[in-house]
Amino acid sequence: MSRRDSTSYQWSARGFIAPGVILVAVLLYAPLLWTTYLSFTEYNGLGDPDWVGLANYGAMFADPEFFGSLGNTLLWVAGTLIVPVGLGLGLALLTFDLKGGIWLRLPFLIPYAISGIGVGLIWSFILQSDGALDQALALVGVVDPPRWLLDAPLNTVVMILASAWQGVGVNALLFTIGLQSIPKEPLEAARLDGARGARLFGSILWPMLRPLTAVVIGLSIVASLKTFDIVQGMTKGGPGRASETLALTMYKDTFVNSDYGLGSAIAVFLTIVTLVASVLYLRQQLSKKNEI
Amino acid sequence: MKSTPRRMGVLATVSVAALALTACSGGGGDSTDGATTGTLNFYTDKAAWEPDFDTLSETSSGDVDIELNTTGYSDANQYDAFIRQSFRTNKSPGLFSWHTGSSLKELVDENLVAETTDIWTKAIDDGYVSEDLKKYYTIDGKQYCVPMNIAYWIMYYNKAIFDENGLDKPTTWEELMDDAATLKANGVTPFYQTSVLFTFPWFQQLVAGTDPELYNGLSTGEVKYTDPRIVDIMNVWLDQQKQGWFSDAGSTTDPAVMLKQGDMAMINFGSFFGASLDAAGMTQGTDYDFFVIPAVDASVTPNPVAVETGPLCTAENSPQRDLGMAFAEWWMSPEAQTAWSDARGDVPFNPKATVANESLSELGTSVATDDQLVERYFEATPTPILTVALEQFGAFNANPGDPLPFLQKIQDAADAYWADQN
Repeated sequence: MSRRDSTSYQWSARGFIAPGVILVAVLLYAPLLWTTYLSFTEYNGLGDPDWVGLANYGAMFADPEFFGSLGNTLLWVAGTLIVPVGLGLGLALLTFDLKGGIWLRLPFLIPYAISGIGVGLIWSFILQSDGALDQALALVGVVDPPRWLLDAPLNTVVMILASAWQGVGVNALLFTIGLQSIPKEPLEAARLDGARGARLFGSILWPMLRPLTAVVIGLSIVASLKTFDIVQGMTKGGPGRASETLALTMYKDTFVNSDYGLGSAIAVFLTIVTLVASVLYLRQQLSKKNEI
Repeated sequence: MKSTPRRMGVLATVSVAALALTACSGGGGDSTDGATTGTLNFYTDKAAWEPDFDTLSETSSGDVDIELNTTGYSDANQYDAFIRQSFRTNKSPGLFSWHTGSSLKELVDENLVAETTDIWTKAIDDGYVSEDLKKYYTIDGKQYCVPMNIAYWIMYYNKAIFDENGLDKPTTWEELMDDAATLKANGVTPFYQTSVLFTFPWFQQLVAGTDPELYNGLSTGEVKYTDPRIVDIMNVWLDQQKQGWFSDAGSTTDPAVMLKQGDMAMINFGSFFGASLDAAGMTQGTDYDFFVIPAVDASVTPNPVAVETGPLCTAENSPQRDLGMAFAEWWMSPEAQTAWSDARGDVPFNPKATVANESLSELGTSVATDDQLVERYFEATPTPILTVALEQFGAFNANPGDPLPFLQKIQDAADAYWADQN
């Protein structure tokens, strides 16, 4: 290819990339900058925003309920890593080498097709007072079941389980892809050396799965930090604010109280936490790849 | 044709930019500047009422040649955000539903809604609307918007349950309490409650029924939520909670279905609730009925009744401003209110309108002559305080206990709000 052809090719490439870049800039980065600006203002969605400096951030950290939301959000992060990621890995390990394993994973994948708010409604029907679960428990003689959605932190725990019901299948699928991409030779060699079960997993499978595990866990952290739809569908953050997450606090301050400045401050805080957590985690995990 | 890829790339970029610009320009194709007849774009958060508005549109088409093109939102918060943002565009609505109280004042303070003082003056002169209602639409001596609806917060009850337990409509607070005790003793939960959104009616009833001045003082900031009188009232509520008089706050079943199933015998709701009960398959007078809740303190006269009224507004800068104002003027008429009452099965605000439902007609007349109206807690309370109050009443319903911590949280929000206003 001549120098001129190469330049022409690069120009056309830039031209094709430009629409995507423009759309991302207009639909993603411009709102991000606008939200950051709003977080330094007092604004009710009408008229013009008034610059108040760091006042919204001060108000945010002075509110004890904010730390309740932060605590619930961290519980979501921990719970999501333990339950759907853990179960997904377990399911993948149990089924990947089995003939017809796909049919065992399929039922777990189906809930992934349902929207978060739909999952919330289904589980709300099951877990509400005198709901489907309480009625089932009454049939086996449990007359005073736990108040699933009314007591904290039980309500957050059962919502994490409801979320796991949706997320296990896709995690299992991702882990299965990772397991299938592991070369056969080291696995066979390990098996010839007598490695089985936990030994095979700990010495061969887990280290070789690390790049994929890093991505799955990274995605789970990001998803759980912005948990909104399932909580909105099941408890609306209540009773009171007992099961509220940061995303819900942001939504309430912005769209219920019309305090766009405070809502934006929480959005910026949430964005920073998510970015820092993702970058730190992925950098740390992916750098280990070279150690294998 | 070496430059073709480059040209294609540039073309792709320009096309996207052109599309984006077209999308941002808004077009303004449906502008009807100055027209007082035609199709009026109407936005509302009452999505469930859309068929009723369509029915109404047939009458308005015939009467004043204005047809409603209704867009209903089912999420109130999403709707509020949409309306707020619409004022920044050339698409601000010719007609939209809103809220009275601090929400309306916010719009008026920014000169965003059209003044309706002339429409109100004429309607009051014609006897189309009571002077009482005007205060909810008055800001700094001028009127804005017109009332979309009016609803009285009353007690609906399951007639079969009352009959089975030998109960009749109570006429005093003591009788109501005796009825509740009888129902509980017979294994029936007397009252409905929830932990989400409609958590305030019983608080509203207890405070307004004990002392309307105290109730009004909460909405102006003159009375604190931690006032010993409010704490005493909350303790009355707590006693009732302990006696098991309320349905499980964790149920998300439709309250109309719950009343039909007999999950509770009574529910304190707005007079529009009859339409939900009808939709659930109950018949008024046979399966359910309603009564005005008597004052807690019998010496409080006239009897306080919470009233809810939601406005229909026109944006000042809307291309359909004149059309919206023409509709608003017609909306006050007996013909419009008769059509609305027929469509919704609710009380019209115009006393000259014909009400097909005899019980609702009697309710409208009796409230107007025998009772005093207090503004519904939802509209009477500034939004930042209301949000916390609804959460705290919900938490109290879910886990009844010492009322002071709940009240303190509401008062903290009230202190922050009123400090910001001064």
